[in-house]
Amino acid sequence: MKSDDSPTDDTIDGSPTGTDAGTERAGRTPADTDGGRTATDGGHAADGGHASTGGRVTAATAEGELVTPGQAGTDAGTDTDHGHGLPPLGSVRRYLITTNHKDVGVLYIVTALFFLIFGGVLALLMRVQLWGPGESLLSAGAYNQAVSIHGLIMVFWFLSPFAFGFANYVVPLQIGAKDLAFPRLNALSYWLYAASGLLLGVSFFQGASFAGGWTMYAPLNLPTYTPEVGSTTAVLALLLFVVSITVSSVNFLTTMHRMRAEGLTLRRLPLFTWTILLTAWMMLFAFAALLAALMILSADRLLGTTYFSFTEGGSLLWAHLFWFFGHPEVYIVFFPALGVMAETFQTFTGKRLVGRKWFIASMVLVALQSFGVWMHHMFLTSINLQVKTLFMATTIGISLPFDLMVFSLIYTMIKGRIRFATPFLFSFGALVLFIVGGITGVFLGAVVLDYEFRGTYWVVAHFHYVMVGGVTALVGGLYYWYPKITGKMYDEFLGKVHFALYFVGFNLVYFPMFLAWETPRRVFDYPPGLAPWHKIATIGAFVLGASFLVMFYNLSTSLFTGEDAGDDPWKYVTTAEWTVPSPPPLENFPGIPTYRSGSIDFLSEDERPALGGGEPAADGGHAAESTKSGLTDGGVADAEAVAARSGAESASTPSSQGEGHRGSHAPEDGEDEHEDHASIWPLAIGVGAFAFLLGASGFQGGEFAGGIAGAFYAWVLAIGALITGGSLVGMTRERFTGPSGPFGESWPFDGIENVKTGVWIFLASDVILFGAFIGSYVFIRVANGWIGWEPIPHDPIPGLINTYLLLTSSFSVVLAMVAAEKGSKKGVVGSLIVTIALGIGFLVNKGIEWQELLHEGLWLSTNVRTSTFFLTTGLHALHVIAGLAIAVYMLVRASRGAYLDDERPIEYFGLYWHFVDIVWLFLFPLFYIL
Amino acid sequence: MWWLTAPLRTAVVPAQSGIIPRGTMVEVFEEIYLVFLVLGTLVGVVVIGYMCYLGYQYRDTGDGSDGGDGSGGDGKKIDRPTLGELPAGSGGGRKLFTSLALSAIIVISLIAWTYGTLLFVEGAPAEGQQDFEVSVTGYQFGWEFEYPNGHTVDTLRIPAGERIDITVTSRDVWHNFGIPAFKVKSDAIPGQQTDAWFIAEQPGTYQAVCYELCGAGHSAMNADVIVMEPEKFEQWYANTSGSNGSANASSGNATNATGSGANATAGNGTSGNGTGGNGTSGNGTVNALIADTASKLA
Amino acid sequence: MSKTKLYVAIYVLLFVLATAQVLVEFAGLEYWTAMAAILALSFVKALFVAGYYQHLRYEPRSLTYLMATGLLAALALTIAASYSIT
Repeated sequence: MKSDDSPTDDTIDGSPTGTDAGTERAGRTPADTDGGRTATDGGHAADGGHASTGGRVTAATAEGELVTPGQAGTDAGTDTDHGHGLPPLGSVRRYLITTNHKDVGVLYIVTALFFLIFGGVLALLMRVQLWGPGESLLSAGAYNQAVSIHGLIMVFWFLSPFAFGFANYVVPLQIGAKDLAFPRLNALSYWLYAASGLLLGVSFFQGASFAGGWTMYAPLNLPTYTPEVGSTTAVLALLLFVVSITVSSVNFLTTMHRMRAEGLTLRRLPLFTWTILLTAWMMLFAFAALLAALMILSADRLLGTTYFSFTEGGSLLWAHLFWFFGHPEVYIVFFPALGVMAETFQTFTGKRLVGRKWFIASMVLVALQSFGVWMHHMFLTSINLQVKTLFMATTIGISLPFDLMVFSLIYTMIKGRIRFATPFLFSFGALVLFIVGGITGVFLGAVVLDYEFRGTYWVVAHFHYVMVGGVTALVGGLYYWYPKITGKMYDEFLGKVHFALYFVGFNLVYFPMFLAWETPRRVFDYPPGLAPWHKIATIGAFVLGASFLVMFYNLSTSLFTGEDAGDDPWKYVTTAEWTVPSPPPLENFPGIPTYRSGSIDFLSEDERPALGGGEPAADGGHAAESTKSGLTDGGVADAEAVAARSGAESASTPSSQGEGHRGSHAPEDGEDEHEDHASIWPLAIGVGAFAFLLGASGFQGGEFAGGIAGAFYAWVLAIGALITGGSLVGMTRERFTGPSGPFGESWPFDGIENVKTGVWIFLASDVILFGAFIGSYVFIRVANGWIGWEPIPHDPIPGLINTYLLLTSSFSVVLAMVAAEKGSKKGVVGSLIVTIALGIGFLVNKGIEWQELLHEGLWLSTNVRTSTFFLTTGLHALHVIAGLAIAVYMLVRASRGAYLDDERPIEYFGLYWHFVDIVWLFLFPLFYIL
Repeated sequence: MWWLTAPLRTAVVPAQSGIIPRGTMVEVFEEIYLVFLVLGTLVGVVVIGYMCYLGYQYRDTGDGSDGGDGSGGDGKKIDRPTLGELPAGSGGGRKLFTSLALSAIIVISLIAWTYGTLLFVEGAPAEGQQDFEVSVTGYQFGWEFEYPNGHTVDTLRIPAGERIDITVTSRDVWHNFGIPAFKVKSDAIPGQQTDAWFIAEQPGTYQAVCYELCGAGHSAMNADVIVMEPEKFEQWYANTSGSNGSANASSGNATNATGSGANATAGNGTSGNGTGGNGTSGNGTVNALIADTASKLA
Repeated sequence: MSKTKLYVAIYVLLFVLATAQVLVEFAGLEYWTAMAAILALSFVKALFVAGYYQHLRYEPRSLTYLMATGLLAALALTIAASYSIT
């Protein structure tokens, strides 16, 4: 595919040299070593040299051929590992700058396991406290923190990232892609996740961390009741986590929809990838609602808005927003586990899944339905009986597809050839646990029983059976893909020991909770008669915890002493990740994967033009056209997500730098363009976001505290803003080439290239964000009495003028695009100037209006009417500011003649700008007229 | 929403004569719980048992033959998955849907069955049934009970054998009021009012507990509930009437606990410690109570 | 050229609709009627911006469905939540 040329072209900081690239290959060598020869020094040989013996890919990749492990690893396609700036696998530096999906996947898995330990220790502290009624290892406040942060960590910082570690590693391999659509955004997701986790850890040292439960019910989540700075930090940490998730889901959705190998239609997608696809869709929408809730909560905590302290409906508003996110979250957490179960059941029974299409249909159904069941978490609130009935019905409805999935897995075992290897033991165990969790969930679906179980250990036991049941499958996934990721086999005996301890420990800790169900949740004092059950549970918790020690021992020693795994250690696997060496080479495949023949083949570059529907790849002169399909890394979604949502003002342009790059680096000689795999900016943005939010945590009620602490927070905030802003600009200006098309299957986004797809998907999540803000406003207004609510501005005219301004600016962006199509530089520049002027006019007009209101004593914190007005239109104004930043950047580039031969960046900016316009079309009547 | 509730009601109501559990909250709960527990255990044991059977039956014996039992089932060669093939399924759709239909019947009929009870639980007191109203207000960290006559206490005293209607709210954060012994529970949300009822059969001392994390004192947010013989309660209650000058209660809004259940019209935040005026309704209830207990004694 | 004309026509239309929206408020209609008219006008304007300026009309239908799904979810949240407390 590629010659081994020096990777200087696209490096960022110049440091990676040919030497580095050489070391990189050497570093990989042991993993790729012939199965017959045991590598002596486990993974970081620095003795370079013989690595290059690996010829071009041959045996390992021949179509449909079962390659014996012995011969598999030898030739590994090391040639494709031109480093492009990446230090070797063993180096720490590699993991700081990598954008490669496999490295990022490993980062996710390792970090998530760290959070498993973190959350697990908190759980053990709780279980010790619960040994007997009224024990007092922890103070009441500390116990509540342990309960809350345990929940938050396990649900957010452990479960989804753990699953997405596998998703990062495996999904591109399964769909036949070299990487995700936007590799830098992928690294950015990881670093934002890491930064948010660090922020959560820091919160413990700022007085106290959040102690209001993972559900964070209002108004306990407000400073009136949880005044510690650490509580604010925990909320902001979660906010940052949600931003990370949003970036990640946009990236995954674009990748999975656009970049599948030829023949891999959605119906044919491997099941693990299917579950991740649906998970990402649910994440996109559900987390946007949580983002809105957390932004409002942050505003309440930092700026003094009064949403959740609003007596007539603030508490319920939180419950609605939270559970609208919270119920899909259950499936977001569980679906990847289901995917692992489906894959391992097929592999270890040697059977294809029974009723595969119905299984998929059920999952799609569940994903849709998951947004219509949230009020079953609120049966005991003051919602009316009609709504209770409706949500009872939808709740039964959503349980049924799961029945089908469970039966499908069970029937797959029939006539199988079942091998109880560790991954299957965990999957099998997970299914057992999930059945128990499911049956006990039906109890909760009966509203009358729910009334009694609400707030008790029945609920605790039930969701642990479901969620930790999911963890069980994911642990199976860890064993399943461990040989692929490391190239080494774990110790099977220790794996089985782990499972035995795990399964026994699991049931010891959670089953007694059903028996002691009358214990109220989140208390450490309970009726003495229940003590024996709690003692058993505590013992079980330690057994469960200890089982992980076995796993960590096993997996870490196997890294060095494990046998070489070969390409496919399992037999009966089908998916593409097993057709490549373990670990796979940097760009995954020895050629372009295709399923044209019904099973996987790898086409060489020469055969590429033959791809159905694809444009010729790189035929000299027409560089710009030939790379039409998503060449760049598309900073746009990132820029908008970060700039618009966290308030940072710098932003990047859609693919703007990529344009320049394309111009100057387009392949001239028919040789394929190289992709980049390293960037320092995601890490830098993560650091900046961490500092920015840490600084923001010191802000309360609209101001920093006085004294040294206040000054410290103010400085950290400023520095964080600078780093974030600078890094965003740096990332935008960086030359970076992501995976380019043409791709095999892109349904349903055929013909909409990657960046554009990403922008649209991001906008869809923004619809939910604004929808939730507007929904909150409507809800509060209904609770308050719709009619008795006066709009805050006395006069709709300034708002109308702003409507005119935005509409006109939308029009001028359209004109800019038309001008670019016609190749008129003057037109582009002129239209952009008009757009910017109108946008600034909008902000100035709004500023005058706000100034007048402020003079009347109306501000964010005055009352709930002003809170909704200022916060909602303020969020919109932030979107305008972010858009202006992008527009200014584009103006600078346009004045140098950019966009004339490719107007797409203007088009994508326009999509965003028009969306902001549309939002205003609704905000205006809602806040100015009605 | 009538289009949803009406058909369900008509489906359920005719059956109400005997099948739908009614009675005290405890009786209702125990009956439904038992049925769920028995059926749930049965289904769980059957399904998991079947799984384990399959796991054993089709285990890989390592003898290289296809089909776990060595014979390959019907003797046909089984088509095993191969590396790199396009993902596909194996048939079995009919079997799948039979199982789905079975489980759907079980689940739907169970839930529909309990819906009748839900309507009963959410409903107003039956004709001629005694009921007594108490407002419950949660705060960090305790409970305040207010009787129709305006008397306010932190230990709930109630007559045995009577339906007690509670209206629950909170004056600070979200709590949840529950008395486990009587299987009653209701969210206490600031600014909202929720309704529930229960019947305490036996005199004695019980505990009310908070079921929603509400702060550092959550674990100890209990209140005593003293269930008294009705006549003793009457004596006690009669003595409280005058003791609290602000006599007047929120009883007015509690009497219309209609079928629509918890239906807090957003608005009045705290339980009305109003301006006096309709004290009569409270007294009326008390008089009726006294008369009734008298007749019971006779 | 006709493309530009179309964009201009849409722009004029949007301008008129925006003005009409405020005029409805001053027309002295019954409150709920006025509200329905005003919101309907917002939707119409949004459709024109999305359909032509964001050229959804000329894109694969999948993008329209994508945005409609988002809108639907947001509406479900708003309506169901508001209805639950009535």
